[in-house]
Amino acid sequence: MAQWTLACHRLGKRFGERWVFRGLELELGTGARLIVRGANGSGKSTLLRLIAGLLAPTEGRIELRANGRPVPDRTRVIGWCAADAALYRELTGYEHLHWWAQTRGLPSDRPTLMAHLERFELAHRAHEWVRAYSTGMRQRLRLALATYGDPPLLLLDEPDAGLDPSGLKLLQQVLDEQTRCGIALFATNRAECAAWGDLALELGA
Amino acid sequence: MRSNWAREALAIWRKDLRQEWRLRQGMVAALLMGVATVVGVGFAALGQTLSVGLQAGLFWVAVLFGMFPALARGFIVEEETGTADLLRLAARPVSVFWGKWLFHATLYGLLSAALVPLYALLVAPLGGRWDAWLLLWLGGGFCLTTVLTLCGALVAQTAVRGALLAGLTFPLLLPLLLILIAGTRQALEGAFPAEPLQGVFGYALALSAGGAWVFEKVWRE
Repeated sequence: MAQWTLACHRLGKRFGERWVFRGLELELGTGARLIVRGANGSGKSTLLRLIAGLLAPTEGRIELRANGRPVPDRTRVIGWCAADAALYRELTGYEHLHWWAQTRGLPSDRPTLMAHLERFELAHRAHEWVRAYSTGMRQRLRLALATYGDPPLLLLDEPDAGLDPSGLKLLQQVLDEQTRCGIALFATNRAECAAWGDLALELGA
Repeated sequence: MRSNWAREALAIWRKDLRQEWRLRQGMVAALLMGVATVVGVGFAALGQTLSVGLQAGLFWVAVLFGMFPALARGFIVEEETGTADLLRLAARPVSVFWGKWLFHATLYGLLSAALVPLYALLVAPLGGRWDAWLLLWLGGGFCLTTVLTLCGALVAQTAVRGALLAGLTFPLLLPLLLILIAGTRQALEGAFPAEPLQGVFGYALALSAGGAWVFEKVWRE
């Protein structure tokens, strides 16, 4: 099993004249579960988007390593789920996962995809357009996409938004499973989720 | 299972086709503009014999007008609906570029299938060298699709889309349009347009080499 390391060195991001954060140092290994907290605008989502490769840092660098070797394109091996991440409204949940699996070179056979959707309690609505999904179901689909293929690094930006109690339980299971073989970063300000992490990073403090 | 860029590009193309089939926004807009242009030109030229130069120019103007609305179906919609992040995470830039290119090329093929007979019926019969016509259509379509895909991606990243779109596409499309018109004129006259075809395929070669590279630089911030 690969040993994964996520390292951020002197990381900083500026939008216009305003620095969101500067000089951030972070190193996490397999099994780490980091909760990122902070007030609105403190840079929680920005940090996760930087790590995902969706934003470029203004200064510093980010590296994902497998057994000490840098992963060249980390964007395509990470799992990312954000409450405001848009989905294709005119595709079904199944079509989303099938497309995701094909573009990422993951198993795309029907039984495997349906089993994964079943895990997120979406199998019974798998062939409905996403525009017909509730907020909570869309969030479950985002989680299903983020976790498909067991990514070594899972980035969750307020993934608890819109989830019912069973969804929150599922989210906790996802985090437990992730930390068995990978790294999880979880941005939230929800008090009941604070205990889910074994490390915490307070931004804007 | 390992992924390769061609498989990823095909997956993106299939996704776009499925969305287009369900919404029919890009194709309807393209057909509306293209057909309106041809019908308008046909009405204006009613009872007149157009010169071959004018025929060639009007043909490519109609194709260009039709293809422009399709531009928004590629990247601008992905950015405006917020799904571009999902796309960035799913596939490598080269696959995204060629996946979108395939989608635009499909629209070009469908648009041509509707416009060519309509043009022949309403404006002027498309006579001359058919082999030259076919090569010009293929080469011109490749270049047009590549320019529109690339410009769509660049424009989608900015806030001032309208002005930038015109500013970016004009210098890239104008030389292509002039070469295509010159080639089509020769084809209509029954000559083989060797030099214009060299120009079109040279342009296509430069675009295919540079397009994906430029795209990679702009696709991820």
